[in-house]
Amino acid sequence: MSAATDIAPVHEAHEPTYAEATKRNRLGLWIFFISEIFLFGALLASRFYLWGNTRPDLDQNIGLITTGILLISSFFMAWAESAIKYNDRKAFLRNMLITAALGTLFIIGVVGVEWGGELKPTDGTYGAVFYIMTGMHALHVISGVILILINWNIARKGGYSSKEHWGIEGAAIYWHYIDVVWVFFYPALYLIGTPVSIH
Amino acid sequence: MEETNQLEQKKKAEYRQNLFIFLALVLLTLIEFFVAINLDDPRVLLVIIALVKAGLIVQFFMHIYRLWRPEEHE
Repeated sequence: MSAATDIAPVHEAHEPTYAEATKRNRLGLWIFFISEIFLFGALLASRFYLWGNTRPDLDQNIGLITTGILLISSFFMAWAESAIKYNDRKAFLRNMLITAALGTLFIIGVVGVEWGGELKPTDGTYGAVFYIMTGMHALHVISGVILILINWNIARKGGYSSKEHWGIEGAAIYWHYIDVVWVFFYPALYLIGTPVSIH
Repeated sequence: MEETNQLEQKKKAEYRQNLFIFLALVLLTLIEFFVAINLDDPRVLLVIIALVKAGLIVQFFMHIYRLWRPEEHE
């Protein structure tokens, strides 16, 4: 036998452990977020390019209330993730449902109430930018709510444990990411610039 | 028994931390709102507040530090 064949391969193929798989999944999710930063960053850039130091005269109460709702939902999501980590299943299941309900309420606030206001998608750059920013964000909130409900259903049937719950962690990180996007969208849409009456 | 107590204390500490971060975010949002209403040109301040809020969420809710944490802590 030659010397070359005597050397054992350094990396033998093996099934990744749950911890290894989680580490890879986590990295994959963050790389996905980097791609999303380009999407939302482009929307923010278009807002500042097209609106400059102005903004449509939107209802400040709706802006503050929807922001508050999303913030509270993030708190319940964080609580749910901590709860599954410490095997507190009752708190976990309850908080996941509360998060999904608050996410739905946020959608109702933005799409149901704010979209029904004076500003229409056809109102020039103000309408176009406002609807694409809130619409793209709302799409992410809807997918986040679906993700939470899928995970809630899996957990309700006994899935996940205090040690193995990547699905929950992934959904939680995604939900908080949606919150981070709104942290920048809220001042860009509602607070920065001189209000301009469209009609 | 000792281990159960320690776990319970860790759980309470984590719940408490989540609550503190949430309250900090609420406070910053209210400051953001009042700054926007009362200042003539609040742009710089609003960007700083948004960056602080995002930093808190990324660190404490999204746990970005787990990306470079050794596997034995999983």
